[in-house]
Amino acid sequence: MERNQGADRPDGPGPLGIRMRGVACRHGRVDAVRAVDLDVEPGSRVALTGTNGSGKTTLLRAVLGLHRGAGGEIRVGGRSARTPAEWAWRRRACAWIPQKPATGRFPLGGGELLDSSGAPAQAREAAAALGVGDLADRALHTLSGGQLQRMYLARAVGCVAAGAGVLLADEPTAALDFAGQEEAADVLLGLPATLVVVTHDRTLAERCDRVLEMAAGSLRERV
Amino acid sequence: MSGPPTALAADLAELLQLVPVQRAGIALLLAAVGLPVVGVVIVGLDIMPVRFAMMHVALLGIAVGLLTGLDPMLCALVACALGGAGVAPLARTPDGLSGAMGLLMSLAIAAALLLLAVSGVNAAGAFALLWGSILAVGTADLVVVAVLAVLVPALFWWRRRDLALLLYDRELALSSGVAVERLTLLLLVLVAVAVAGAIKLTGALLVDALTLLPALAARRLGTSLTSITLWAVGIGITVNVTGFLIALSLDWPPGPVLVLTAGAVVLAVHLVPERRTTSWRAPAAASLPSSH
Repeated sequence: MERNQGADRPDGPGPLGIRMRGVACRHGRVDAVRAVDLDVEPGSRVALTGTNGSGKTTLLRAVLGLHRGAGGEIRVGGRSARTPAEWAWRRRACAWIPQKPATGRFPLGGGELLDSSGAPAQAREAAAALGVGDLADRALHTLSGGQLQRMYLARAVGCVAAGAGVLLADEPTAALDFAGQEEAADVLLGLPATLVVVTHDRTLAERCDRVLEMAAGSLRERV
Repeated sequence: MSGPPTALAADLAELLQLVPVQRAGIALLLAAVGLPVVGVVIVGLDIMPVRFAMMHVALLGIAVGLLTGLDPMLCALVACALGGAGVAPLARTPDGLSGAMGLLMSLAIAAALLLLAVSGVNAAGAFALLWGSILAVGTADLVVVAVLAVLVPALFWWRRRDLALLLYDRELALSSGVAVERLTLLLLVLVAVAVAGAIKLTGALLVDALTLLPALAARRLGTSLTSITLWAVGIGITVNVTGFLIALSLDWPPGPVLVLTAGAVVLAVHLVPERRTTSWRAPAAASLPSSH
């Protein structure tokens, strides 16, 4: 999309740091995330683990401004986000692989998904490398869970090529077979971007620089 | 069918010479270009009760118009535009909009009835202003449908990439840099005004045949926003021409005939077995990543 490639793109390609102070998120009356402080160095790879319902997904969504009612401060590349323009910058700076890629109320073509990354050529190249290059003509709702996950991974590669400095990946290998998990991990860890990956995949977590564990909305480092 | 085919054709040819019939035919053709696209947006945003909501909001607008002495229909259109804009913030949650349409409908009818009662205006008279008929289309009405026929597809084509992402998944659109709030607002205002305008032109019943029904059939046939929209316009034109000719030749009211024709198409499309339901396994096996 043309707007992603304009002068307003994040400050050139390259990994960005993340800083969180006192981040808290609520789902109605439930505290999903409480008082999270976190510093992620530019270019580092961080695995976020923890039981289901511990707040991992909510924390990633808060970075993208998709969780309403998030408190505290989140900075990416030193920038906070309050105005619509700042949120637009944030969302360009942070590529996202959603946990449950929506099957959509309306059909969307695989090619349209790849193009939405902002770097169609690189995203399609990545899709071909991941074995889903020929699915660009197909509607996403006709794909299997694993194929869809590969498409979203290829889109994330495109986002990074378009200037995103952070990749927030939410269980990006959950629907993949063993060979696919390894291949996806290679792609994720090989990108020139800061990686925060929510995962239950031990092999992927062990290949990251840091492993953080979330429990009941709080974060702690696993040593 | 009554009478021999030649007599029927002669009757039809005679009817088509009449100016109101010609105008109605042109209006239906023009409406079939713009309104099915609006219908695709209605189905995509999951706001199917929008027609009922707009009827009631328009009534409120008419009540305001009668009370203030301003043009009631203009007030109705403005009220619908404001109503559409007013529910836009509720699009943040997945089912926010469909619920909002119900709320809008109830609040608008209550406010309208209250206003009419307080001002002493006859409610039935106000309602009558809202009802159009396809056989009573005037020149100004024709201009409005013509503008819609150009404006709506043009807007759609200009923003089709953003629209495809938004209708698929709002959060994906947000993370792809689409100005989601602005686009949703624009769509809701457009839908509200188009539906309200169409009610005035064709009557409330016919609006469904022109907007929703082609979109519902097309959703089943197309695999992308663009193909669904093209199907919707194609079905809209086919249904309108066929339904109108049937209504004329049998001397039946066009509204119900057109709705029934469109409904028959929707049913037929849903009875046809879906294509490519089993095809994903084959390419999946072929495209599994080899060792590379």
